[in-house]
Amino acid sequence: MTKVQRRLIQAVALAVVGLACLSEVFYINVLPNRLVWQHPLARYPPWAYVVVDIVPGSCFVLAGLIAWSLRPRNRVGLLMMGVGVGLLIPAVALSPPLATGIIGEIFLVTFGSVWAVVLIHLVRSFYVVVPLSGLLQWGLLVAHVFPLATAARVIPPACFVVGLGLVVRRWVLGGRARRRSLSPLFWPLVAFTIAFPLYAAIALAGLVSGRSLGSLLVVSPLLFVVALPLGFLIGLLRTGLDMSSVGDLVVRLSDGLAPDQLQPALARALHDPSLEVVYWLPTHAWFADLEGQRVDLPTADSERAASVLGDPAAPVAALLYDSSLVHEGQLVDTAAAAVNLALENARLQVELRAQLEEVRQSRARLVDAADSERRRVERDLHDGAQQQLVTLLLSLQLTKTEALKHRAPATAAMVEANIVALKKALAELRELARGIHPTILTQAGLVPAILALGERCPMRVDVTGDLGDGHLAPQLEAALYFVVAEAITNAVKHSKGRRICVAIGSGSGLATIEVADDGMGGADPSLGSGLRGLSDRVAAVGGRLVVTSDPGIGTSVRAEIPCG
Amino acid sequence: MRVIVADDSVLFREGLAKLLEAAGFEVVGQASNAEDLDRLVGRVRASLVILDIRMPPTQTDEGLVAAKRIRRQHPEVSVLLLSHHVESHHALELLGQSPDRVGYLLKDRVGDLSEFLDAVRRVGNGGSAVDPLVVSQLLGRKRSRDLIEDLTDREQSVLALMAEGRSNDAIASTLKISPKTLEAHIGTIYSKLELEPAGADHRRVLAVLNYLRSS
Repeated sequence: MTKVQRRLIQAVALAVVGLACLSEVFYINVLPNRLVWQHPLARYPPWAYVVVDIVPGSCFVLAGLIAWSLRPRNRVGLLMMGVGVGLLIPAVALSPPLATGIIGEIFLVTFGSVWAVVLIHLVRSFYVVVPLSGLLQWGLLVAHVFPLATAARVIPPACFVVGLGLVVRRWVLGGRARRRSLSPLFWPLVAFTIAFPLYAAIALAGLVSGRSLGSLLVVSPLLFVVALPLGFLIGLLRTGLDMSSVGDLVVRLSDGLAPDQLQPALARALHDPSLEVVYWLPTHAWFADLEGQRVDLPTADSERAASVLGDPAAPVAALLYDSSLVHEGQLVDTAAAAVNLALENARLQVELRAQLEEVRQSRARLVDAADSERRRVERDLHDGAQQQLVTLLLSLQLTKTEALKHRAPATAAMVEANIVALKKALAELRELARGIHPTILTQAGLVPAILALGERCPMRVDVTGDLGDGHLAPQLEAALYFVVAEAITNAVKHSKGRRICVAIGSGSGLATIEVADDGMGGADPSLGSGLRGLSDRVAAVGGRLVVTSDPGIGTSVRAEIPCG
Repeated sequence: MRVIVADDSVLFREGLAKLLEAAGFEVVGQASNAEDLDRLVGRVRASLVILDIRMPPTQTDEGLVAAKRIRRQHPEVSVLLLSHHVESHHALELLGQSPDRVGYLLKDRVGDLSEFLDAVRRVGNGGSAVDPLVVSQLLGRKRSRDLIEDLTDREQSVLALMAEGRSNDAIASTLKISPKTLEAHIGTIYSKLELEPAGADHRRVLAVLNYLRSS
């Protein structure tokens, strides 16, 4: 539609308003007595007629004019003007050429109810789609073809009830986002519902009693009627505000929005607190939330709807929201377009997190495997070599006893020499097994194992604290044990200190161990491959290792491991 | 003396049984796991059970658990626990509050026959035996060394042998000193360490071990 056409239509609508006003004035002043009985407000002062006949239609026309100028491409403004013009037809029917004859009657009967049909279209176009059942569609068709006749008086209330029914049903069934989208229409409609019977009742009371009820009282229902065009106008402008909230979103994006802030920002822009953003993981071919957990898209008949963003074959992300937002597709698309780049970033981040989680798990599995391998080697040494050597020791002992019994002291001495050598080998084997995996760690737990480390240490070792209630998982105890063992070994080798303090603590889902010496400090944690390995080991179970070594103060190795 | 031997290695069991029988003990039963051992102890009258700390099915500390159970259920039976590794933690757990009729030795001690048999006899006769490695670890700690630095070398040797559960006679003959001299050493040790005189040999084991470990 061109600008000229638009101006023309606007001029026509204004002309109708003017004509209606003139007709009313003419009707009141020129034909004061002739048709007076026909009007339900017959007993009230002339200005009351004018207000009742002119104000609702004029308000619709004016609101429609404003709406159309602000949103030229939106049909709502045009339809509002249509409703207004329709409402003014009874007044126009009072104009000089029509008022006195049968033509005016026919004109009034034919077009007097058109506004109600247009109102139904207005309600529907305001919400893009208000689904109509088959019966209602037929009814609407009949109303178009036949908006008149003597039965025409039935059409406005019928249309009104249908429109009200549609809106109320969606209001009752809808969630927060849906109610919000309906509210500019819902409350005016409720007001309108109150206004009609009120107006009728007051008019009827005036007619029946023949007494004046006061002009202001008679006119007051109009306030409710005026609310309806205002509601449409507000609703339309708020869609504009929604668009401007998308504008705010764009501004926030340019300030740099973290992936975890994206979902709340979108939820705010689209006024749907239940909105979720899920990201496509190509490696898994499913959608996942920020935590990397799988999320399935809603089915078509659910209360949730989804918009998949990007190429359908290789999507970036999807928005999950209340299905009422389906009617604001343009808003959703605009918002989605605004956050597209940020979504791509967030998707990459989610993908990265999912991969990191996999790497973390595989690292934990590797450490676990190494731990159980150590335990297996220790067990094999224990049940195999150690046991066999001790049995051999027994048998040598028996041989020696036999030799002595047979008075062969030379043989006994040779056997004794073997016994001594074997005992030495056993002692070495014992230390080897202990270094691989100390049995006391499996048998008695972390704290006794650390105490045992302290007992074997040439420096003084003070152990304080405990793990509260009981044991940690074996891989956590092993990680902490080897941290303490390595730290104590380092302190003995390098610190030149006199004592070592081992502080064990646990609480709020964290087990901590700090090994501090009073030596010379100045150790470079990046140099020792032992510390580097320990740091990896602690990280593999989700913890961290902090080494501080200030010259002259000593070295402290602190491990924190989540154990919740 | 009637002895039961429990170890999951049949070779070790048999070898130990032979060794004990050669030394005049009577081996009245053998068991390869804790469950069999429990049944055996309930059925056969024995004055001593010698068992390994690690036994099937988990190969962790079944022997320790079994030893504590036997001490609770059959207080008249002595228990000697053998292990490839010795820990002061286990020693004190086993000795508990009554250190009589109990011993905890490294398995390798079968290589020092006379000392091993001495420990077996001591435990079987109601005394106690703690492996010298446990004692030397406790005494070797820096903190322990600070505590006992006032003791002479001779007094330190006496303390170590006391901690192993040796009787006065055994200590005196090991150190080749007269019982009277030993009495004097022990008195000095108690006063220097501010320990309460603990009476019987096995009582003072626990006192000395606890002193060394907790101080």
